[in-house]
Amino acid sequence: MSSIWKWITSSRLWKSIYRNPYPRDKRTRAMVILNSLALHLHPVRVPKRATRLTYTWGLGGLATWTFVLLTLTGVFLMWYYIPTTQDAYWTIVQLETGVTFGAFLRNMHRWAAHAMVLAVLAHMTRVFYTGAYKPPRDFNWVIGVALLLVTCLLSFSGYLLPWDQLAYWAIAVGMEMGGATPFIGKQVRMALLGGFEIGQQTLIRWYTLHVIFLPLAAILLMATHFWRVRKDGNISTPVYEDDDEETLRAVETRRRQQLAE
Amino acid sequence: MATEVQQPTAGEGKDDLLRKVDEKELKPVHVWPNLVSIELIGALTITLFLSIMAIFVRAPFYRMADPELTPNPSKAPWYFLGLQELLLHMHPALAGVVVPTAVLVLLGAIPYIDRSKKGTGIWFYSKKGVPIAIFSAIYTTIWNLGLILVDEYLPAGGANGIAPWLKMHGFSDVFAEIFVPIFFMTLIPFSLWVIVKRRWQADMRECMIAMYSFFLASFIVLTIIGTAFRGEGMALSWPWDIPYPPHGKE
Repeated sequence: MSSIWKWITSSRLWKSIYRNPYPRDKRTRAMVILNSLALHLHPVRVPKRATRLTYTWGLGGLATWTFVLLTLTGVFLMWYYIPTTQDAYWTIVQLETGVTFGAFLRNMHRWAAHAMVLAVLAHMTRVFYTGAYKPPRDFNWVIGVALLLVTCLLSFSGYLLPWDQLAYWAIAVGMEMGGATPFIGKQVRMALLGGFEIGQQTLIRWYTLHVIFLPLAAILLMATHFWRVRKDGNISTPVYEDDDEETLRAVETRRRQQLAE
Repeated sequence: MATEVQQPTAGEGKDDLLRKVDEKELKPVHVWPNLVSIELIGALTITLFLSIMAIFVRAPFYRMADPELTPNPSKAPWYFLGLQELLLHMHPALAGVVVPTAVLVLLGAIPYIDRSKKGTGIWFYSKKGVPIAIFSAIYTTIWNLGLILVDEYLPAGGANGIAPWLKMHGFSDVFAEIFVPIFFMTLIPFSLWVIVKRRWQADMRECMIAMYSFFLASFIVLTIIGTAFRGEGMALSWPWDIPYPPHGKE
């Protein structure tokens, strides 16, 4: 077994994909982070406290992962779904009764959507109560608030698509609210509905928002959010703002020493 | 979970200070395997949980959309039911547009109001943080429930509620449906701020903890009321009395 494993990992193909050996020492553990597209979102090392579950509860990561699950299950749903008022409902019936794993993946998409809204709300609450929004992370908090809005809109725009009673009337309630916008209520309602009542134009608008525009907006905002985490000094750690300069220098020197170790 | 900020005092030796840095677990560890393992376990756990849920709990799917058949009650998805609850108590422009916009803007403004870096990375900031958060949540909940009950049962001629009562006594629609709700929505956080400031000598961060707790408790209370305690005609009902599905049997 181990000889087969050795044969695979020493092959030219394997080495063309993974340039580093399995990370076992300081150097390779750094290399694996730096040389991987997904992992290089992380710094090579983080303060010990950042790995404590009770500090972050992993909520930002869970929100991101539910987004990945939603994208994967969502693509599957798009193979069967037809966004017309005549067909939408029946394609879901067909999906649930005639497609292998159809009901499973639709259920998963629905529950993951709720989970994502919950995870984003919980992540915001965690960041607030740990004071992780404070400068220099102030603008990243604003991006986070925008992501909360986009998450809710993603979930809400998907709500109409099954074209059942629940979908139709939830959107009717939403339109009632949007239509009450001061001064431009009529225009807002018209833009959201694509007409005077919920119909084919509404469905295609919300479908387009749900499968293209809002996911792209979320990806762009998430990319900025993660990038800013790194640029704003990685995960939040206690600061010693009230101390004199000499103390601050001592702490900084100590941290550098530790990083060099 | 609250950890007191350990500010090194003057006269402490450098060694003491360095020991404190170590105690704060600032010592760096490698992301591989320390962090990636946790992330992997987290992703697998949520995937497993959602898979089990997807196997056993069917996503809601009712009869085809019918514009002629209005369900009673008609409800938005759960995360908007707090707003839908507000809709019962004030002008729709206020509940549906002005309040959510104001909430988003104020949430975004938090780091620009509370500028100090002190307390970064510490759960609940100081020893006062947890009591302030708990007090704020209870204070907000009592206000919310009180106002919901008064607005539901205050007799006003043929109707019930604060706005009809005011209109019955000669006040204008704008006063009853816009000014009075704005007054209460401002009074609760403002009075909370004053109480927290006096009772705990709270600084800016502690006042912010009170404000966020006000937002969070309001969101949770209104969402629960809107989801589980609003039945036919959006009247207050017990969860077991709410018709489900709302448009009758399939």
